[in-house]
Amino acid sequence: MSLARGWIGGQHRRPELLVPALLGGLLLLYFALPFVTFLARVGSTPILEQLSTPGAQGAIRHSLVTAPVSTAIATGFGVPLAYVLARRSFPGKRLVEALVVLPLVVPPVVGGAMLLTAVGRFTPLGSAAAAVGLPLTGSLIGVVLAQTFVAAPFVIITARAGFGAIDERLEQASRSLGYGPLSTFRNVSLPLARGSIIAGIILTFARAMGEFGATMMVAYNPRTIPTQIWVNFIGGGIDAILPLALALFGLTLLVVAALQRVGRLPTVVER
Amino acid sequence: MTLDVESLSHQYGTERALNDVSFGLESGELVALVGPSGCGKTTLVQAIAGHISPTSGRVRLRGEDVTDQPPEARRVGLVFQQSTLYPHMTVGENVAYGLTAGDIDPDEREAIVAEYLDLVDLADQREAYPGELSGGQGRRVELARALAPQPDVLLLDEPLSALDRSLRLGLREEIARIQRETGVTTLFVTHDQEEAMSLADRLVVMNEGSVAAVGQPRELYESPPTPFVASFLGRSTGLTATVVDSDPLRIVIGEHEIPIQDTLQTPPAGTTLRGHLRPQSLSIGSPREGEFGLSGTVRRVRDLGRRYDVTVRTETGTELLVEQHARPPAVDESVTVAVPKSALQLFDQTDDTVGR
Repeated sequence: MSLARGWIGGQHRRPELLVPALLGGLLLLYFALPFVTFLARVGSTPILEQLSTPGAQGAIRHSLVTAPVSTAIATGFGVPLAYVLARRSFPGKRLVEALVVLPLVVPPVVGGAMLLTAVGRFTPLGSAAAAVGLPLTGSLIGVVLAQTFVAAPFVIITARAGFGAIDERLEQASRSLGYGPLSTFRNVSLPLARGSIIAGIILTFARAMGEFGATMMVAYNPRTIPTQIWVNFIGGGIDAILPLALALFGLTLLVVAALQRVGRLPTVVER
Repeated sequence: MTLDVESLSHQYGTERALNDVSFGLESGELVALVGPSGCGKTTLVQAIAGHISPTSGRVRLRGEDVTDQPPEARRVGLVFQQSTLYPHMTVGENVAYGLTAGDIDPDEREAIVAEYLDLVDLADQREAYPGELSGGQGRRVELARALAPQPDVLLLDEPLSALDRSLRLGLREEIARIQRETGVTTLFVTHDQEEAMSLADRLVVMNEGSVAAVGQPRELYESPPTPFVASFLGRSTGLTATVVDSDPLRIVIGEHEIPIQDTLQTPPAGTTLRGHLRPQSLSIGSPREGEFGLSGTVRRVRDLGRRYDVTVRTETGTELLVEQHARPPAVDESVTVAVPKSALQLFDQTDDTVGR
């Protein structure tokens, strides 16, 4: 009896999670520390005043326009790619997979430089686009190109894992019940991979919001929050970047929370 | 023929999964496709349903060649071993799923869903989600979902194999009843010969990608056309025999010369044949009328509760399995195994039937 009780009690207190919780806690502490020390400086800076300057307002506006567009492009093209990668094997698949991961491996600044060699003002693509009034560098389009290049892998990789976890027979059953491949994707694959796709969208959006290296190379102007932060830092040091950094945290958290709410993503493991 | 499979072959890379498979299903028939794991049953189901394109051969449904049509254009109901219920839909929505693909008006659709949930006795679970169902209930919902669009053929691919034994037996009866009530032409795929024999009007026995036999269960059980069918459908025990006289055929086993009544071949004298016997047709004791005796020693006795499995090693060195209900002899005891002459089935070296 006492043995059984001890075991049940143990289950309840979950001592087996003590070690992982401790290890995770240490990492969390390390994450939290810079935030705390950084935010501790808030008191000495006029946040709202600085955020209402035209430079800051423009940066916020540009980020709020470009990051969602980049995320939408990455999702619209990335989710179908993820589905193909999860469902088919084909010659050269490893190459495609490597290509998907490449933007994560390459430092963003190098990614930006690579983009410049492809769509820069003096390249055939860049000059043709500029000629019809759509400059691919130094423009919001340039920002979107840079953000998409760097952030899209997140939604592709996460969605692919989501699709991969769905038993293919669920799709076969749908086909045999009279639905074509597209309706089956819409009715079965998409809803079942929804959690993973939304998680991927969140990661991609957060990455796009924070994107600096590639954006700086492709479109230093118009400024997004991260590029404006860099400009402010050069001019005024750490205290000068506090307001925009706070705005970046706030906006990203807001969107992520909204996405999690819309996606009804559980924050705890469901039993 | 409702379903006609014509010389279907399929290859995965260099591996041959199906080899010239042909058979047909008459309207309203329940046919069991039976064979050991890995014999190509699932590949065959996938080819009939249209989820793989066979390397060669044709599939016809109600006379129409559907080999090149996608799954959604075929009227084939499909139930897999694993659950394929959609976890994000209720039981009712799952059953309605195959109906919403067509243009049926909502009221009629609701009525059909109710009818099929009634059929599987789950009307009260309509609003439940698949996650809330028991294993057996889940199976029944899958049946209802597959049947609701009234398919030409229902394919059940090992539908009971993931369930525990008591549930399996109960659901087997359910499937038989539902099939009787709906009259749907059904191909029931299983590796379990007992399940196949208890359910099916006819059996298609498969081995290594080919059809080994087609026929009524009792017929195939009693006169299996090949040693594989003999050993797969029920238990089989074997001995070797030598032809002494070709026409009329006489064989010798041990010191016994046995005339064979039904002969399909006349192998020359000296040919070695394989004799197949059902363990339950053998007994331990002196042979009676129509039987001959083989003496040997008891090697093993296994107590299976309702019977004993006794292995006897004969003087010629073959081991015979005897099912015994009475008290078994002791190990190492010298005994005589009584073999009814009529129970003996003879195969030649190429596995063709010689006679019985």
